[in-house]
Amino acid sequence: MQQWRTENPAMTFDEVSMERSKSFVKALQELKNLRPQLYSAAEYCEKSYVHNEQKQMVLDNLKDYAVRALVNAVDHLGTVAYKLTDLFEQQTLDISTLELKISCLNQQILTCQTYTDKEGLRQQRMFTNNPRHHKHYILPNSASRQVQSSSQLQKDATLNHVQPKPRPHPPGTPASKTLSWHLASETNSPLNGAPHAASSIGDIMAPKITSEAFHFLDTEDAGAPMPLSTHLRSASGTPTSNMALRSFGIRDSLGPSKTLTAFRSFDNPGRLQVYRPPARSKSMLSAFFAKNKSLKPRKASIS
Amino acid sequence: MSRAGGITNAVNVGIAVQADWENREFISNISLNVRRLFEFLLQFEATTKSKLAALNEKLDILERRLEVLEVQVSTATTNPSVFT
Repeated sequence: MQQWRTENPAMTFDEVSMERSKSFVKALQELKNLRPQLYSAAEYCEKSYVHNEQKQMVLDNLKDYAVRALVNAVDHLGTVAYKLTDLFEQQTLDISTLELKISCLNQQILTCQTYTDKEGLRQQRMFTNNPRHHKHYILPNSASRQVQSSSQLQKDATLNHVQPKPRPHPPGTPASKTLSWHLASETNSPLNGAPHAASSIGDIMAPKITSEAFHFLDTEDAGAPMPLSTHLRSASGTPTSNMALRSFGIRDSLGPSKTLTAFRSFDNPGRLQVYRPPARSKSMLSAFFAKNKSLKPRKASIS
Repeated sequence: MSRAGGITNAVNVGIAVQADWENREFISNISLNVRRLFEFLLQFEATTKSKLAALNEKLDILERRLEVLEVQVSTATTNPSVFT
């Protein structure tokens, strides 16, 4: 290739490749022409050995010619092999360049696709309103605020509308029957006894109830918080401690299957009281209106 | 005289035998080199075949990739609203 470039520096890449292929074809043609030449030389040597009297001279000439012919054939074969290898390397280089260009094109198309995907996602995100705050992070604080001021009843009405989407409840448990909802409903209801109990509950439960207890309590039915409030009222006038609350809360989370719960009052440690929760109404409205009747817990004292 | 003739014949035979041996040696050298040339040709053919097969496989792969790119580009050109 360098020889061709020195001879004709103005040649382009295509012209150089064309010259290479031409020289290869030429060398191959010359190798092919060696065969009839060798055949004709062999016939001449045979005839001259037969007809000539100086056979030794003919034999010596024949030996020299055989050696030269062999060297010539090897030379031609070497030229053809070299030109073929050179041509093959050029083709390999062209293919490597082509592969590189195809990889560049592929990368460009991939970039365009990524861009279109990103743009599509961005446009889709603009039209969706994802809630950022969960219900149980907002509602207890709002419930405690509403309890403190009675004039915030309007906020309760707005709170019911502004409440964020509730977290997924277990199947069979409607969203409206969660404890938080009941807490909010209790604060809204204009009951005499209920607000105080609810206030005590709210004061105690809001800062002190852990998320685990809250989860347990969420699985209850509509009438679940009522036994809690009535029990607190019946047990003692003072707010209960955390231990009693938690133990009761955890026990109560077992659901309606358990009818009797036993607890130890801190005021009377020697006395074990069995508390029977009242029968729970099926509908929410019936439970709401049944609160006014002040379901009294049935106590059975076991000493 | 006869002894001289016999000795001359023996010498001639010896010379002829020696020449014959030289010729045979020459022929064996020539045939050995021709066989070496033939082996070189066989090896060259095998190497060239394998290289050409690899090149052919590369070309096939590149051809398929080009087809895929062609389809992608045609899809993009037919739906320009995707990029707007």
